Amino acid sequence: MNKKEKIWGLTILIIILLGYLIPYTLLSNVAKWYGSFLLWTVLAILIIAANYMLTKDWSDEE
Amino acid sequence: MSTTLVWSMIIIYVAFALVIAYLSRNGKQDSMTGYFLGDRKLNGFVSALSYSATTYSAFMLVGLAGLTYNGGIGAYGFEIIYFMGVSLVAIFGPRFWLVGKKYGYVTPSEMLGDRYQNKWVAIVTAISSCLFLIPYSAVQLTGIGYLLQGVTNNAVSYTTGVIIATVLALVFSYIAGIRSVAWTDSLQALVMIITATIVVILIINGLGGITGFFDRIETNHAEDLTVPGNGYFSFWTFLGLTIPWFFFSISNPQVSQRLFMPASLKSLRHMLMGFLIFGLIYTIVSVVWGFSAAILFPDLENADLATPMLLSSDLVPPVLGAIVMVGIMAAAISTIDSILLTLSSLFSRDVYGNMKKQTDDKKQLKVGKIVIPIIAILAFLFAQLQLDLIAVLSVASSAGLIVVVPAIIGTFFWKKGTAAGVISSVSIGSLAVIILEFFTITPLGLKSGIWGLLLSAILYIGVSAVTKPPAEKAEEFIGYVTAKLKSNK
Repeated sequence: MNKKEKIWGLTILIIILLGYLIPYTLLSNVAKWYGSFLLWTVLAILIIAANYMLTKDWSDEE
Repeated sequence: MSTTLVWSMIIIYVAFALVIAYLSRNGKQDSMTGYFLGDRKLNGFVSALSYSATTYSAFMLVGLAGLTYNGGIGAYGFEIIYFMGVSLVAIFGPRFWLVGKKYGYVTPSEMLGDRYQNKWVAIVTAISSCLFLIPYSAVQLTGIGYLLQGVTNNAVSYTTGVIIATVLALVFSYIAGIRSVAWTDSLQALVMIITATIVVILIINGLGGITGFFDRIETNHAEDLTVPGNGYFSFWTFLGLTIPWFFFSISNPQVSQRLFMPASLKSLRHMLMGFLIFGLIYTIVSVVWGFSAAILFPDLENADLATPMLLSSDLVPPVLGAIVMVGIMAAAISTIDSILLTLSSLFSRDVYGNMKKQTDDKKQLKVGKIVIPIIAILAFLFAQLQLDLIAVLSVASSAGLIVVVPAIIGTFFWKKGTAAGVISSVSIGSLAVIILEFFTITPLGLKSGIWGLLLSAILYIGVSAVTKPPAEKAEEFIGYVTAKLKSNK
């Protein structure tokens, strides 16, 4: 893996781990829209951003 | 929902889809690469829509809505973890794409067979895919049968529904191979994302806007907004469900084969980004449907009725309801036709091509085209029989296909992996998953997918350690990818 893949790959991995951990710990009693629903939505958007960065330089060479 | 309306929508859908399938017939379809990979020339937009349509079967708008109805927000988390797993495409996508082009691979199994320098690797992984994916298609067909029967109050019988879906899947894959599949998939995905979103807007408006919607959940179904919530999504259940789906994009051949198809890395990027945006919207839509059904119809006996009830409710105009209903049928078909094509290419390229001496591209394509209807008929028969084992294999499909993941990771990242390691991990791993699912056992409370992954990883690494790797090929293969990816950045 090249450097870019390592950096963004690790970022994605951390986001995913947070997606497992936070809802089952900090948010397990927050029965509101800004609880797990919001968290998972924000993490999903961060994933889109990370993928955007990771794939930014992919060329159109066929 | 009125039968005439449902039938009219089905006829309109079939007419449109046939025209689009027919128009997609450009380029040559007389080679394996042309028929199954669209000559590796798919553009980003069609790739993205088709990838989304293939990934998201009828499960989403019926199953995920039902899962939300039963288990609350955990269902959203489950689908979001799966969605995040598609990031694997950002790492594995360019690698599949590069070697596919260089060595001319048509299927993921062919890639494994060549990389590990053993035809049995290709044969075993291809057969394991068929074993899980034919039942999976059968269950999709079953779903369509029940759905149409349910919304039309038995006016469209179960068998009629299943026959319509089988024939359409067959026709869409036959007309122009992957090209007609990709274009009809795109039509389905576009119509679905637009109409399903309109339904959400109408429902939320009907329930008093976003504030009203959440107020009602917070007041009457507060536990639905947390995990484990009502207990449905305990942490171990969540983990057991999400792990196999997390690896879906590289473990399931009908989607990993897509990584060979885009015209350039830029098209691959468009496919990935397009899917992520589509997937997030589609996921939110399905979950909102589930919550809305919980608010409006809190006492359903069967959670799979959540979507049909919602679409037949006063909040949704009948025409829109019927369009979405037919769209759900189309979603199942768009998943099945891709699986049909992939399985047919796996059989003709990896099983027939390796077993029979002196085959060439033309002969393989001929066999592939003969196999497509056979697989469709098998799926149809399984759907009619409704055997317990079929249901078990279908549920086990995501868990069963995960056993190939260690071998795929090793393909690109571990030079010491061996053919014996792959064959033992895939065959013993699949068998273990089937046994666990069949007898519904969860040793130590862990689900079959987790055991499948652990067992196959241990076998792959362990057996590889004591057998001889194809050193020269590994060096050349991994060296090529590394050099290419460096120069590309």
